[in-house]
Amino acid sequence: MTAAVLSAAPGRGRRVPQPRVPTLEGLLPTAGSMAVAAVLLAAGALPVLDLELTLAGLLSAVAAGVLARAVPSSSRAARIVAPLAAVAGTALVHAGTGALVTLFLLMPPVVALASGAARAGVLAGVLGSVVATLAPAALSGTPVPGATVLLVPAVAGLTGLVVADLGARARSRAEELDVASRMLSARAQTMTSVIDAVTEQSIIGTDPDGTVRVWNPGAEKMLGVPRAAVVRARSIVDFHVPEELDAAAAEFGTADRLAALVHVAQQNGSDVRDWTYVAADGQQRTVAVAITPRTDDDGAHAGWNFVGTDMTEARATERMKDQFVSLISHELRTPLSSILGYLELVLDDEEGTLSDEQRQFLGTVERNAHRLQRLVGDLLFTAQVEAGRFTLQPGDVDLIGIVRAAEETARVTAAAGGVTLVLDVPEDELVVPGDAVRLGQACDNLVSNAVKFTPSGGTVTLSLRAGWRLPDGTVSDGEVLGAEPVARLAVRDTGVGIPAGEQAELFTRFFRASTARRNAVPGVGLGLTITKAITTAHGGTLDVVSAEGQGTTFTLTLPR
Amino acid sequence: MLVADDEDDIRALVGVAVRRAGCVLAASVADGESALASARAELPDLAVLDVSMPGRTGLEVCAALREDPATAGIRVLLLSAGASPDDVARGLAAGADAYLPKPFAVADLVGGIRALSTGQPA
Repeated sequence: MTAAVLSAAPGRGRRVPQPRVPTLEGLLPTAGSMAVAAVLLAAGALPVLDLELTLAGLLSAVAAGVLARAVPSSSRAARIVAPLAAVAGTALVHAGTGALVTLFLLMPPVVALASGAARAGVLAGVLGSVVATLAPAALSGTPVPGATVLLVPAVAGLTGLVVADLGARARSRAEELDVASRMLSARAQTMTSVIDAVTEQSIIGTDPDGTVRVWNPGAEKMLGVPRAAVVRARSIVDFHVPEELDAAAAEFGTADRLAALVHVAQQNGSDVRDWTYVAADGQQRTVAVAITPRTDDDGAHAGWNFVGTDMTEARATERMKDQFVSLISHELRTPLSSILGYLELVLDDEEGTLSDEQRQFLGTVERNAHRLQRLVGDLLFTAQVEAGRFTLQPGDVDLIGIVRAAEETARVTAAAGGVTLVLDVPEDELVVPGDAVRLGQACDNLVSNAVKFTPSGGTVTLSLRAGWRLPDGTVSDGEVLGAEPVARLAVRDTGVGIPAGEQAELFTRFFRASTARRNAVPGVGLGLTITKAITTAHGGTLDVVSAEGQGTTFTLTLPR
Repeated sequence: MLVADDEDDIRALVGVAVRRAGCVLAASVADGESALASARAELPDLAVLDVSMPGRTGLEVCAALREDPATAGIRVLLLSAGASPDDVARGLAAGADAYLPKPFAVADLVGGIRALSTGQPA
């Protein structure tokens, strides 16, 4: 398996520290201080009352040093026995010389005891220092001042406590560091295994300059290039179509291809769109790429992540579907021309040869032919939207007129279904920039939908208001400085409602809510798709709030 | 008056509209080549052309009529199943005087023929 995640940069505390013998726990200070004492003795700077005791003391210290070197540093012998031997050596030297100054030789072994055996070591050090202080009185009958007997063990004990505490803290930090290092290592391992497990999506990580640093098995499969040939050697732009990047660079006003690729992600924090990848065999793949910036531990920009899903087949299928819909719709228009044209000729019965019943039947034919015509128009329109060929005829649109017209259109159907239509519009004009025909179509769709989904006895309310959209997306009825002026049309019904779980799919082509199917409400599921597309093309939003069995409110918000 | 459409029914329907507009039908053909030949032979005041025809399309016939000084003065009304703004723009760019998307109301077609045959804009 390919290791997708690169090893961490050196340093940064990710390496587990190697154990070593701490200076305090070793007997180097003891050996050093004993050597100094030996020199002072040889030079006559220290008195020698009993040569045998003095030599025995120095030899004990040497033996302690040898022992400490010979056994493992963590062993009881190294941590306790050797320092105690050094304390014993100090006691003998003290007894042999009778010099109080030799009690300074206690400090290194006392520190070593406290460092190596914590509180027990401190106690041993105190007891040892008592013994060493009293040694001249015990071994050679030389009196020791009482203050010395109290002071030396007290200083030794306090020193030992400080050292033991420092040692405990140091050990605790070392343990924390060890745990943190293990956790980091485990996390990196988890990330590696997760990224390596992704074989159907490409995950590519780069440096800020676009040099590839992460290349997962999905990227290998999609682009046909092994990780080893890419990491640190190739740039992400090498796998894009240059012309596509150049076009994006021209659009965003930059000369740099990488800057063009990450432009939107840099502006918005993330970006998902189709790009064309070029595989090793030259084949082009349409890939939906999610681009996000990556930061390091300090929050500084560290590069880019590109997570890609191969959409080549899906997009080809969508194109085929759109072409099919377009073709069928186109072909349906010609027979519809004949049906509607000849119907018009027959119904234009100047001589009055048609009976009322015949006229009624032909009226039914005409109504259904128009229904078919609307359906063909909707199909063609959605195909244009999907293909990105939908254009607006811009102008100034008075929304009050649009809403009144929609109410008028729906009035007959509403009355027939026992639904009350309520119109609530401002008295002044409310003008937005846009395409009057398309906005009329959007409004008609919302109102006719509301009427269709409201049972007899219900109400559909059309409210039109001026408002101001705040940066957080909420709309205020009162003017707010700096907020975007908008127009808001709310179409509220008391109908069957839309189940909460289906609301996210409402604007998908051909989607029909279960309440629509259950209540046999006619339709093919294109109206809301079209309304949403028109709203989006005008820079607006279309929101829905619905409760099953209580009703639905669609709110169309347009910039003005 | 010249009518060109590969659909017999539409051709007949346009024929009715021509009569209702008070005009005389000089030729009724089903493809682009025949439309061009008839236009050159008959020099009608108005040609009603379908955009999608075998051989030359209505757009090509229109452009060819405009290029030839002898036929450049013939007024052209295009009929098409393409109803998008782009379709209309392409038709007018080819030199058409009017563009009527299918399905159309016969009354609109009659009005268009009347306007164009009397030299007024549709």
